[in-house]
Amino acid sequence: MSNTQAGHATRVLLAKIGLDGHDRGVKVLARSFRDAGIEVIYTGLWQTCEATMLAALQEDVDIVGVSLLSAAHLTVMPEILRIRKQLGVEHIPIVLGGIVPDADQPKLKEMGVAAVFNPGSPLDLIIDALRELAASQQEVKLADVRAGYEKRDPRALAKLITKIQHDEDLADFKPPAGNAKIIGVTGAPGVGKSSFIAKLGRRLRDKGSKVAVVAIDPSSPITGGALLGDRLRMMAGTPDTDFFVRSLSSGGAQGALAPHCTDVIAALNGFGFDYIVVETVGAGQSDVAIRDLVDKTVLLLMPDSGDSVQFSKAGIMEIASCFVLNKCDLAGADATQAQLIGAVGDDRPVFRVSTIRDEGVDAVADWVATS
Amino acid sequence: MISRADADSANTETKDSSDKPFVDANDIPAFDPTTALGEPGSFPYTRGVHRTMYQQRLWTMRQFAGFGSATDTNKRFKYLLAQGTSGLSTAFDLPTLMGRDGDDPLSLGEVGRCGVAISSLADMRRLFDGIKLDQVSTSMTINAPAAILLAFYIAVAEEQGVSPDKLRGTLQNDILKEFHAQNEYVFPPQPSVDLVTDTIEYCTKHMPQWNTVSVSGYHIREAGASAAEELAFTLADGMAYVEESIKRGLDVDEFAPRLSFFFDCHNDFFEEIAKLRAARRIWAHVMRDRFGAKSERSWILRMHCQTAGVTLTEQQPMNNVVRVAFQALAGVLGGTNSLHTNSMDETFALPTQEAAKLALRTQQIIAHESNVTQTVDPLGGSYFIEKLTNEIEAKAQAIFDQIDAMGGVLSAIDRGYFRRAIAESAHKQQKQLDAGETKIVGVTDFKEDQASGIDILRITQESEDEQVARLKKLKKDRDAKRHTVALTKLKDDAKTGANVMPALIDASKADATVGEMMETMKSVFGAYSGGPEW
Repeated sequence: MSNTQAGHATRVLLAKIGLDGHDRGVKVLARSFRDAGIEVIYTGLWQTCEATMLAALQEDVDIVGVSLLSAAHLTVMPEILRIRKQLGVEHIPIVLGGIVPDADQPKLKEMGVAAVFNPGSPLDLIIDALRELAASQQEVKLADVRAGYEKRDPRALAKLITKIQHDEDLADFKPPAGNAKIIGVTGAPGVGKSSFIAKLGRRLRDKGSKVAVVAIDPSSPITGGALLGDRLRMMAGTPDTDFFVRSLSSGGAQGALAPHCTDVIAALNGFGFDYIVVETVGAGQSDVAIRDLVDKTVLLLMPDSGDSVQFSKAGIMEIASCFVLNKCDLAGADATQAQLIGAVGDDRPVFRVSTIRDEGVDAVADWVATS
Repeated sequence: MISRADADSANTETKDSSDKPFVDANDIPAFDPTTALGEPGSFPYTRGVHRTMYQQRLWTMRQFAGFGSATDTNKRFKYLLAQGTSGLSTAFDLPTLMGRDGDDPLSLGEVGRCGVAISSLADMRRLFDGIKLDQVSTSMTINAPAAILLAFYIAVAEEQGVSPDKLRGTLQNDILKEFHAQNEYVFPPQPSVDLVTDTIEYCTKHMPQWNTVSVSGYHIREAGASAAEELAFTLADGMAYVEESIKRGLDVDEFAPRLSFFFDCHNDFFEEIAKLRAARRIWAHVMRDRFGAKSERSWILRMHCQTAGVTLTEQQPMNNVVRVAFQALAGVLGGTNSLHTNSMDETFALPTQEAAKLALRTQQIIAHESNVTQTVDPLGGSYFIEKLTNEIEAKAQAIFDQIDAMGGVLSAIDRGYFRRAIAESAHKQQKQLDAGETKIVGVTDFKEDQASGIDILRITQESEDEQVARLKKLKKDRDAKRHTVALTKLKDDAKTGANVMPALIDASKADATVGEMMETMKSVFGAYSGGPEW
């Protein structure tokens, strides 16, 4: 049994909170959950309670799993429960994994932690417990989602996206048309799309715009599970409700776009975002499907990738509205830039960026805003 | 926290697939003891780095300690010295390890929790209060902000009238394994390694008795790597530091003798012994043949070992005492130069004083009662041990070739090679455990229902509140102008690529905090949020 009652993959957000870097356990679980058909959103290291719960809200997960091996559970868990209440997402159960002395367990349960898993907890026991928690959640009615959406409640938006993904009947509900500029970002795996989008999104947000990001990751066609890791690059900065990030699994779809991508973009657009940035799987050469959905396509490359010329044969170069040469802190940027201009001409902009050094993103943001 | 009890098991990689129930001469066909082993204390040092090893001098019994405030840990240090420990080993709390001050929002709940909180020179002064720094050797387990903690140590010594050349100790200072496994990195890989090279250069010139980098496999193994991966990744990291230092213009024979290594002692008894022997043999060849080192002191690999925290279980915690004893024995039979034995309660929290004492006693029993120290490398020449040593060396060599083909360690980090390999090994071990192919006594088998019932160390929240208050006061009381000037100089040196050690020492004296110095360097070096994960 890989799915919840409704037949959809259980969605779990796994978070490490604070400075503790012990991520062996959480990563083993992430892989095992994926293999068991669960959709896992891993938010990476060094998260705050606030960023974690805001991510849970936007991703509309069934469960939040917190990993703590720093003995800070009695400080961190009350804080995360407080923020859960503040954000109005008390329906999302929170489970804790890590080193928790027996004596602390009743305290944690009493304050509202749904389950505590110690090292050595058998994997199938954990997975069963998660499924049970997910299955016990109440279905949210379309009318409530619609009312919330119309009031610009981000919880309703998150839930609407889930309903779209689940192919639920939305009756006569159609989001209103919006005015968002839709930007596609694509490029080969490893060029740093997610980190770049995080920076670009922040720049646009800093100009006062409302920004939504759709990050598409592959899912296993066999188990239906997926490891959605892009979000972890987008967690930096102050948590912000007008910076909405949603991870979608591609569901094995061709052309590196998730099913329902069009409808999800429409839902975001109607909600009032100024920019919607769509990150695609990074399938590279075959990844041209994005063009039909977006106003502009940004193609990311990196120095010395050797792939840059190959791209020119592949059609992806033709659909790009601009080129971003990322990782310009690495050697070979000049040569790759020359190679690129040689291949595509100079009628479309080429930006040099280093997301690690936070250089060059402003120029791209200006171009996105004005072109 | 140094140990964690993720269910884990001995790696089964080296299990023999043949039906023969024993190993004999046919399994080591080309074995030539002269070239493969040499005598103890001579090339390639397979049997040990000294001719007499433990007959004349036992390994250093170095127990890791640190919790709460500097004053709390200072008391523990004095207790350990009184109990016969021969070197101090400092565990810092997570905020310090990450180069953040106690009042940083991300430090919430973690100040003094898993180690001692050191944010400023004033904290360091309290940590070593009443301990003369020319009388002890001090190990500091710190990486991203290692240069800053070293600057604090140098400044405290100066206040005691002790010059840097008199200081003995070890800085872990191994940033590469942070990118692979432990995740306590701050700057991107290249500037991080440049900073390590700054400390190597500074120590080579001013602190000849200081061990500059403790190249660590421990964390790589604890994160899930196999024994061969631990060995290979660690030695590859060591080679990367050697290359960078040579590029800096240093003479290999000047700095290489001060590099040391740090390995895990895991459950698979013979495999661990073989790993430590192979480590010495590989390194001797690499230093002589690849880097052209002329000095014998550059060829020898000196190591510290720690028993495997990841193998400890919270179920039936007394069993951990037995695990630790066997793992420690493997370290000794493998010829380690220094050893830390974990305490049985470390799955729960930092050790209590009693548990830490029992861990030290375990080493003392091996050293003084078991008589395993009577001859050097007692297992040398055993068919099985020599076969395992050859096998693990060959596996390591195959991994070096892969890393070289990727363009070296930094480029392999950029591709996510290490993280992926380690996560895959960890996942594989978990699956073996779930399938019942490996066993853990008291967890998968021989289970009991009763609770552990042992006392554990509690760090109070007050400890955090007090540290935050001290820090606020320091920031208010210090000479603001001197502070600004010192940080500006640090930034300038970082920008121009000058060695930042002198500027860090000055900034320490100006009461700049760890967090402030890190932020200053971050503004030049950039911040790293991790490479490819899956």
